[in-house]
This record gives sequence, C-alpha cells and structure tokens, in this order.
Amino acid sequence: MTIAFYTAFVVVQGLDWPAWVAFIAMLATTLTASYALERIGFEALRARGVSVMFVFVFTFMVSEFVAYLAALIFGTWPQTIFPTMFWPVTLVGDIAVSAWDLPAIGSTAAALAAYFAFMRFTRTGQFMIGVADNPDLAALYGIDKRKIFLVTMLISGAFVCLGMFLYGTRAQVLPETGLSLMLFAVAATIMGGIGKVAGAAIAALILAVIQNASILMIPSEWQGFLLYVFLFFAIVFFPSGLRLPRRRSRFSTATRDMPPAAPPAESQA
Amino acid sequence: MADVLEVRNLSKSFDGIVVARNVDLALQSGRVLGLIGPNGAGKTSLFNLICGVVRPDAGSVLLDGAPLDGKTFHQRVRGGLSRTWQHTRLFPSLPVIDNLLIGTHDYPGEQLVNVLFGTARLKVHDKVARDKARGLLGEMGLAGVADDLVSDLPYGQQKLVGVARALMGDAKCLLLDEPMAGVEGQAYAAMQRVVREVAESGVAVCVVEHNIAFVHDLCDEGVFMFSGAIMARGSVAELTRDPQLTELYFGH
Amino acid sequence: MEYLYGIVIIVGLYVILATSFNLIIGYGGLVSIAHPVFFALGAYTSAILSRDFHVPVLLAMLAGFFVAFIASIALALPSLRVSGDYLMIASIGFQLGVLELIKNVRFTGGPGGFTNIPPFLIREFGRESYVLLVLAVVAAVILLIWWIARSDYGRAMSAMRDDELAFASVGRDAMWMKIAIFGLGSGLAGVAGGLYAHYFRFITPEQFEILQSSAILTMVVVGGMRTTWGPVVGALLLQALPQAISFLQLPPSVLGPIQGLLFTGLVLVFMFFRPQGLVPAKDVWRAAPAAKAREAR
Repeated sequence: MTIAFYTAFVVVQGLDWPAWVAFIAMLATTLTASYALERIGFEALRARGVSVMFVFVFTFMVSEFVAYLAALIFGTWPQTIFPTMFWPVTLVGDIAVSAWDLPAIGSTAAALAAYFAFMRFTRTGQFMIGVADNPDLAALYGIDKRKIFLVTMLISGAFVCLGMFLYGTRAQVLPETGLSLMLFAVAATIMGGIGKVAGAAIAALILAVIQNASILMIPSEWQGFLLYVFLFFAIVFFPSGLRLPRRRSRFSTATRDMPPAAPPAESQA
Repeated sequence: MADVLEVRNLSKSFDGIVVARNVDLALQSGRVLGLIGPNGAGKTSLFNLICGVVRPDAGSVLLDGAPLDGKTFHQRVRGGLSRTWQHTRLFPSLPVIDNLLIGTHDYPGEQLVNVLFGTARLKVHDKVARDKARGLLGEMGLAGVADDLVSDLPYGQQKLVGVARALMGDAKCLLLDEPMAGVEGQAYAAMQRVVREVAESGVAVCVVEHNIAFVHDLCDEGVFMFSGAIMARGSVAELTRDPQLTELYFGH
Repeated sequence: MEYLYGIVIIVGLYVILATSFNLIIGYGGLVSIAHPVFFALGAYTSAILSRDFHVPVLLAMLAGFFVAFIASIALALPSLRVSGDYLMIASIGFQLGVLELIKNVRFTGGPGGFTNIPPFLIREFGRESYVLLVLAVVAAVILLIWWIARSDYGRAMSAMRDDELAFASVGRDAMWMKIAIFGLGSGLAGVAGGLYAHYFRFITPEQFEILQSSAILTMVVVGGMRTTWGPVVGALLLQALPQAISFLQLPPSVLGPIQGLLFTGLVLVFMFFRPQGLVPAKDVWRAAPAAKAREAR
C-alpha cells in the first residue's frame, strides 16, 4: 500500500504527469514488489517450512521497513496524490455529490465485478478457490500451487493500487497509514469469512459505512478507536465470519465420489 | 458390567462426506475391542470424535455415564480418556523420560503459581512421576533409553514410548490408533504384552488396527466399520471369516 | 555522570522488556505486537496514580504491574479462545487502539504527554540509588525467566510449542498456560514502565509506538530467542546502535526512520541468514541435574 501510494505521489506531484500515468506507474511498482515478495520472500519461507509466527513477523518487518523508508524519503507529514483533496461538488436534491464519487464508485464496482467474474468463470479463479480450500488436494489434481500463489499476490497488488489511488486522492496518507488500513482489511476479512470470495468486500462496506456514519454520534478523534473495537468484536464473536449461505463450487461435487479421506485431525473442538 | 465409554448414535459429515453414521459403541473395563475396516472407513475419525478434537453433528459420548459434550480434548483426558496417535506425536524437544513425565494425570508444573511458590510440591510429584515412568519404560524393555532423544529411537520403540506416555495418566479408557503399524520384532512382542497387561489392570481398551494377527491375538471382540458405519460386530474370528466383509475390506 | 546513569537505566529497562518479551514469544510461542503498550500502561498508571492521586510511588509502580497484567489478560483471553493467530491480529489492534485512547483522553495529558511525574529515591538517596534499583529489578527478572524456563513449567512450554494437539492428548491445558505467560510477560513490561516514568518524569505516547515493537522484537530475534542471555545481548547491542547513530548529529525527522530501518532490516537479515540469533537456543529441553539425582535415592 505504501509503495503504491508514494509512487503515485511522486508521479503526480513530483514529476507533474497526468493521473493515468500515475496509475500505470503504481501498478508497475506495486506488482513488481508483490512479485518480489512472493518469489523471494514467501517462497523461501515456505520451502524452509517455517511457522506461521515466523511468516507473520516477516511480513510485519517488511511492512515496517517500507514504512520507514517512506518516512525517510518523503517525511512524516500527511500527503495526498493530487495537491488538493477537494473536488467540485454538485447538489443532487439534498445530497452533495462530488466529482470524485462517481468515478470512484464506478471503478470500484467494475473492479469487483471483474474479480468475481474471474473467480467464478476462469480456470485460474477456480484453481485459486481450490488451493485455498485444500492445497494438497489441489496439487494432486495437477494445479500449479506456485503459479496460483503468485497470481493471488498480483491480484491483491492490483487491488491495492486501485484502493490507494482512490484513498490517496480523497484523504491524507502518512507512512503509517498502510498499517492501520491493513488492520481494517484484516477485520473485514475475518468478519466476512476467510476464504469466502464476496465476504471481505461486503464486510468492508458495512464496516466503512459504520465507521463513517459514526461521526454523527462520536467525536472524530474516536473514529480510529472505533475500528479497533470492531476488530476485537469481530475476533471474539465471529472468528469464522458471518454465515453466508455456502455456494457449492465445482470441486465439492467432484470429491464426493472419492473414498472418504481422513478429515483434518487438527481441527479444534 | 457398566460401560466405561459409551458412544451413542454418533454422526458427522464434512462437506457431504459422511465419516460417522449413527455409530453405537461401548467399551467395558478389562476388555479389548478391535476396530477394523478398510482405509477411509472412519476409524480414526471416530477416535477424533470421541476425544473431542472434532465436534459431532449428532449423538453423544459418555465416560463412566457422564456426557462429554462441550468438553475440550484435554478436559476429557483429565476425565480418564487416553489415546495414542497413528504417527506417535511424541515431543521432539524432550528426552524420552520427559515425554512421559509431562503426561501425568496431575501436573503441578502446569501452574505458574506452583513453580514460583510451591517447589516442595513439585519435587514430591516429580519423584513419584519419575518412579512410575521408569517402571513403565522398564516393563517395555526401554529402561536404557530414558535419557535419549525421541528421534534417536527406532520407530517401534517410539510407538512403545507413545503408549507409555498414554499410560502415565491413570486412564480408565485407552484408545490405541494403529499401535502395530511399522512395528516388528521385540517391540511387537512388547506391545502385545503391554496391551494385555493394561486391559488386565482394568482399563477399557479400543484398538484400531490393520494387522489382523494382532487383532486376533488380543481383542476380545471386534467391530467392522465401512464408510462411517458399523457393518458388523462379533468375535474377531467371526468377522474375519465373513465373506461379505472380506470383500468390502479387500475388494474396495 | 548523569548522562551515563540515564543510559544504564534505559539499557536496563530494555533488558527487562526484551527478557519479558522473550518469555511471551520465545518460550510461549505467542506473537504479539503489543508489548510497548503494556510498557505504556505501567508507566501511565504509575505516573497518574502518584501525581494526581498522591499514591506512594512504590505502590503506584505495583499498580502499574497489575494494570498491565489485567489488561493483557483482557486481550489474551478472548483471543486465545480462538487461536494464537488471532492473538497476533488482536495485539495489533490493541497496540494501536490503546495508544489512540491515551492520545485522546485528557487525564493522560493527551498527545502532549504527562509531565511532572513525582521522583522516587533520587531526592533522598541520589541518582545512584535509582540505578541500583533498576539493576536489581533487571537481575530479578532475568533470574525469574531463567527459573521458569528450567522448571517443570519449561518442560511444559517446550512440549506445548512442539505439538499442541499432543499436548492436549496428555491432559495439559495450553490455553491457560499461554494466558499466564502472556500476563506475566506483559506485567513485567508494566514494571519497566513504572521504573521509566519515575526517573525520566515525562512520558508521551510517541515513546510507546510501533517503533518500540520492532526494537524489542529485534532485540529478541537478533539476540537469540529462548535463551536467558540472548535478549540481554540483544538489548545491549541494540541500545548501543542508536547511541552510535545519535553521534552523527542527524535531524530528528531522519533519526526515527533510520533507527526503524536499522531494526527492521536487522531482523530481516537475521531471519534469513541466522534465525537462531546471536545466542542460539538448545534444541532439547533437559531437567536440572538435581531432579535426576532424586531418582537415585
């Protein structure tokens, strides 16, 4: 996230080039970074068979490293992609609609639609769901796990670019912003259910609406705090996510005809 | 004779795959029950369900008449249940004797308060536990390896250590998951002897096994499972002679 | 001389922080980003109680321990009910959230910090006495962690880290052990907080930010997890570094990020090339010889 934002910042404010160039530059740097992280970092750790804790510490340290680098290069005061955060506003009835809103909502909707279509209708998308469900079984079916992990990281990188472009043109960003936004993403993922394709998006929408609507009830300084309360709430009451009706993907019917394999012995009571 | 362990109408499925189908089972003190069937029949799953590692969709498990619903795995073990694993699951960072010492029924070293303020109590417990552990290892012919690392032992001895560990906790009911798999020679003989002695001391034993000779020699009766359901019960001799079961076992 | 005392005390406090964090992450196998926040809770509790409520300093420091202890249990209990991974995530939220709280609430002095914290011992006995106090506490903490790791509890922790399912199968309760470990470790961070507050007499939320999490983690990982002396070596080394950097006379806006880069960079390098740290831990846990001797009798 940090890399994405500051790339755009450099292109627009530093080099004074138009926004679409900035977006392409963002994609270039962020996807390269995602690729490097997956191939150099995660793959090496996976090969060593390290514990989850190790991976977590690793990702945390990498994020912090990038944040400090950004702080060193760009300073610790808030920045936005364009010199101003303000966009022309037109009144539609009683609602103030800014010139930012429609392209933002439009591009988000388009990206999500493309993503859902990808997951549902393409082979790679289905493979991703398979690998997430049961990586070893997927490998037995001949799915290339390495490629899938890479694709996952790249798609995630692309989303990060879109997200940070929208965020950075509307709100201020500090080097630490990546970390708090990530927390939001994690809370949404947990509430939406890890592994459920639509879950995180819906949860994020609900959380964001609640967080912003809360301004009507609590002073603005507390909005950040509210998020952390939600995260806690999410973990305590919904560790496996809110129950959405489970869709039968193509894989579960295929395995039903196989002899019953031993269920995961590690699942907790 | 009252049932030490009772399984009533236990059912469980994962995503459409049925691993347990209305399973009824009873284990009595001093008797060894053999659980046989082809791979994937649901035998290990049944153990997982009894232990509370997996929550059933329906049915219940009772230990000494008291339902175990909602109890976690370790609570059930404290209540008198004990099990071994198909792949031993010994603690690699602990020497053999410490693998046993950690398995005592009460382990005062588990409470930080005891460690800080109750060292006398720890010492007393440690002496008793060590004597017991040495005794068990001696019975299995493993007295010499007490201070060795688990990884230094041949597989057969590792499995014996696993059983010894399961016996440290004064269990009423012992579930053995394929104790003979990969075991031969002296360890095999020792394992046979141990299981017999454990049963004679009053423990209710259930063994999942593919080794029919072992089942034949040791088990008082058998239960044949297939696709999560119990297909037949009876003496081991009857089960192994039944042509339909044999076909299920080998023909699948 | 006063400058030297300040350094000795800071290093000592970081040894306490690193050693207590080693208990949590090294021996307990729990990942948490929230150690600085318990340091903060101890500091603020002690400071507020002694300045605004006129509680005697020693009692206030003790209260600091308890507040940190109880807060850590409030974090760990619901999280560990689910799993250790959730504790990781919850700890991030806790660290960021509680600091937000401190920054926005009036009685903590807000973002400007809490000033005029009552001194302790210095007026009566001089600065040397405080240095001795800190060193005594450092020695006690190191001894405590060493004692715990060698005891039957250490055996249990080792088994728990090896295989939690097998651990449950021998009748041991992993969840409550983890909660106890987390509570004790965090409480000790609170003690360090109290000691910090009454010497430097001024605390701000910035001193307890995520940079501290990286610093403490670096000390433990680079020094060597699961050893008695690893965190000490780590703390000494990693306090020497910022001192060395400060000699370069860099502006504060650059100093912070450079320190951060150094800490995180070091951890990453060590994670890839020497994950066991400078003081490697033994792979096997062994009981003290006295225990074995008991059998012979």
